[in-house]
Amino acid sequence: MGTVFTLAQGTFGEAIRRKILNIFLMVALAMIGLYFAFTSFTAREDLTITLSTGLGVISLAGVFISVILGINLVPSEIEKRTIYTILSKPVRRHEFLLGKFFGGLTTVFVNIALMGIVFILLVWFKIRHPEASVWEGVLMIFFQMMLLSAVALLFSVFVSPFVNFFLTFSVYLLGSMSSVTESLATPGKDKNPITVGFFWLIHFLIPNLGNINIQNPIIHPDIQIQNMDVYMAQTILYAIIYSAIMLLIAILIFDRREV
Amino acid sequence: MARDKSSPSTGAQTGEVESTEGFSGAISSVAANGASAASGEAAIEIKNLVKRYRNMITREWVNAVNDISLEVKQGEIFGFLGPNGAGKTTTIKALLGLIFPDSGVVKVLGQAPGNNEIKARISYLPESPYFYEHMSAKEIINFYASLFGLDPRERSKRADYLIDLVGLASAGNKPLRAFSKGMLQRVGIAQSLINDPKVLFFDEPTSGLDPIAHRDIRDLILHLRTEGRTLFLSSHQLSDVELVCDRVSILYRGKIRKMGRVDELVIGGNVEILVMGLDPTPTVTAELTALGAKLEQSGRDTLIIGKADIESKNALIDLIRRYKAQLIAVTPTRRTLEDIFIETVREGEVEAGEATKFAEASTAEALEVK
Repeated sequence: MGTVFTLAQGTFGEAIRRKILNIFLMVALAMIGLYFAFTSFTAREDLTITLSTGLGVISLAGVFISVILGINLVPSEIEKRTIYTILSKPVRRHEFLLGKFFGGLTTVFVNIALMGIVFILLVWFKIRHPEASVWEGVLMIFFQMMLLSAVALLFSVFVSPFVNFFLTFSVYLLGSMSSVTESLATPGKDKNPITVGFFWLIHFLIPNLGNINIQNPIIHPDIQIQNMDVYMAQTILYAIIYSAIMLLIAILIFDRREV
Repeated sequence: MARDKSSPSTGAQTGEVESTEGFSGAISSVAANGASAASGEAAIEIKNLVKRYRNMITREWVNAVNDISLEVKQGEIFGFLGPNGAGKTTTIKALLGLIFPDSGVVKVLGQAPGNNEIKARISYLPESPYFYEHMSAKEIINFYASLFGLDPRERSKRADYLIDLVGLASAGNKPLRAFSKGMLQRVGIAQSLINDPKVLFFDEPTSGLDPIAHRDIRDLILHLRTEGRTLFLSSHQLSDVELVCDRVSILYRGKIRKMGRVDELVIGGNVEILVMGLDPTPTVTAELTALGAKLEQSGRDTLIIGKADIESKNALIDLIRRYKAQLIAVTPTRRTLEDIFIETVREGEVEAGEATKFAEASTAEALEVK
């Protein structure tokens, strides 16, 4: 575990200083700040809009940070030849990959946490009491990004960063529309079984990001979750298992990959 | 994760922290005892290695390494030479387990490469290495040392010793982003010595360095030589290779074209005769070829490169007189590794049926130097 930790530390130190990621963070923080500066809160609807806007900004910045970071974690090490000095030391390939992933994930966590803390504090300051759904939303965004980072890392072991960018983004978009793919995958009288089968496969393979996205219940308050703790535990478990499967596949491919 | 029990003991090296005189002190002993201590056991074995790649555009398979075999003894400094794209780095990567041979066998210290037991006893310095720039030299050495499972105290001691050894003591705490290429290369050498390696693979360790950094790195290699380590050195700096290597091989298009001891390869010299007003007619060229000489034309000047023995030399001068050309200079030349390298590459090009721009360029360059 020491090797993975060392590699994660190195990766985090490098990633947290990447200017492009810092720009996304700064823009997101500025957008959140400006929104609060020019909005007055008078009604419940305003809070709902504020929450969905703030979480939307955090989510979007999180997507860019996770994808740009994730698609470059392994290729940049190959391009800069750092991987050669690391893999020629007593480091197993899976340790290298896990080190890269956890280093990247820590970077994503720090970025989302920074945006989340600012957002939570601003909401608290405006409505004069803490709002639980804000931190729940931020937490779920992090797990959504964890999943997306694992997908990006998987693609990064066998496609170029350019292709990976579009692939991971497609996964994000399709995964965010999981309710749509679910309805298309549901058999019906007028539906072609092949089409239904195709969408079932898509729905099965693509991560169900729509369910993880807590903003949906915020935007649509009519959708009531009976037990928020159970719902969150289930979706977090889903994100962890899905990410673990992605990492396992990535390890199996990377183990035989020539660098 | 379980750490390999075979992780290196660096006790002997760390013990040197107090006793070492520093790198310059070590170098002074090189002059007195420059020879390496090659033993009979093989450190590196390559048998019929083949590595193929598919050209992404033409979809054709290309042999990057085409059936090469060689053996490097323990304690030997082996120069692995070849023009760009000859297959040097591919071979080194196969020896490190970073890529996998299509056929053939590679062994390092008697075992297949890639497992942690072997990795703990070898090291690699890639060409123009990049290190995490936010770290200082000491931090990066610490980082690499922790990959060997060394405890923090030992890591810190080792980092101090190595930073001092490579002459970076005064810059050890500065971030690497402030380092010059030469300084980064020193860091690269320091990271390659963390585990007191038995076998080192250096890929172009002096490429792109200024003369001072270049000389320092060469001195470091000489220092390693006195320590009895095995060094597999890929370099374009042929004068360095000639100075430090026991044996060399010259690779061209994935095949070993020449291999042997440096002192044996450079035996025999040439004579260069500069002539003005010699018309390079087919008759003249044929006569020169019969005398084992070559002719290179540059404007009105002609450079004849012939054998250095007295009979050949006299015969060439007689020929020049006969054709009433003006003799400008007769310069005996010793064969250098560079001569052998260029000769070998040209032979390879001729064999590959190439009309060589490279040959023309190097001739023009040679005349310019004269």
